[in-house]
Amino acid sequence: MKITKSLKIIIIVAAVGISIALGAGIYMFNMPHRNVQSAKIDFAVSATELVNEYLAGSQEADEKYLDEGGDSKILEVSGKVSKISRDYNDQIVILIKDKGAKAGVSCTLLVSSSALGDQITLGQEIKVKGVIRSGAMFDPDMNMYENVIMEKCDIVSKI
Amino acid sequence: MKNVIASTMVFMMMVSIVGFVSPREKLVSQKTHISFFSSTPIEDITANNYKANSTLDTQSGEVIFSVPMQSFEFEKALMQKHYNGADFLDTKNFPRSKFVGKITNLSEIDFSKNGTYKAVVEGEMTIKDKTNRVKEQGKITVIDGVISAESTFKITLADYGVVFEKGKPASNIAKTIEIRLVGEYEAE
Repeated sequence: MKITKSLKIIIIVAAVGISIALGAGIYMFNMPHRNVQSAKIDFAVSATELVNEYLAGSQEADEKYLDEGGDSKILEVSGKVSKISRDYNDQIVILIKDKGAKAGVSCTLLVSSSALGDQITLGQEIKVKGVIRSGAMFDPDMNMYENVIMEKCDIVSKI
Repeated sequence: MKNVIASTMVFMMMVSIVGFVSPREKLVSQKTHISFFSSTPIEDITANNYKANSTLDTQSGEVIFSVPMQSFEFEKALMQKHYNGADFLDTKNFPRSKFVGKITNLSEIDFSKNGTYKAVVEGEMTIKDKTNRVKEQGKITVIDGVISAESTFKITLADYGVVFEKGKPASNIAKTIEIRLVGEYEAE
């Protein structure tokens, strides 16, 4: 009788354990992507400051801004709109680059904020929130500066 | 009369200088799409990247692609996390991949004339800290002055130090994956 009781307990504990593990596994497998726009801002910088920080030392900057699992820092970047274009996914891309700067910050707007892109004009000062994907650098093979790359962006304010 | 001769000479000199110093033919593309596709009986995995930069020199045939690795978007967040992780592509330490190559059949491509041209490209591909020599075929399309390039090719992950020996990745991720890329160029 005693053995049966302990066996029952073991079975219940095992069943609960398996259910939790299975639930966690299913959750992990279907885990949603991070919502960049609802997450808090890690750093607020100007486009030129961010570019200069990368040009001064890309390794240190990568260490500060990039995440091993791809959930890199969420930035609020300010500066002048120098180019507006559309990518192959029909998303609006805004290049924030101050006059005379070596490189800028290329921000791809979320599809949902694409309509906002039409309200942006060249030369306008804006603030954009998004996730950083890679930094600015001079590429000797291409013989040009590469912009900082940000995605899942939304316009925080127009000045 | 003297003035006419002088101006003619200046004109001739200018023409010869322009003739010797040919205009730069470097084109830049920031409108690109790179996707990869992995297929196994268990699972198909695809990821898209719209943030690569590329340059194309129509005179020397040099083609370069610089790809921000964290810009690859997967359908599932967990896959994306694994892909970025230190055991896979280690994108924090190797945030960009690169291809530096040359079109070897440049004489068969007329960048000033509408058409679709076959392009053979040879060069070096660097992913993480591994560089391999590759030779691939692509296509250059010229439509009313707009030049675009595209290619579909395969890479073997182990050649770039991405190896899965056991567990789910070993059964769910193909050893060889297909890469598709396209870029539309404009003057620098």
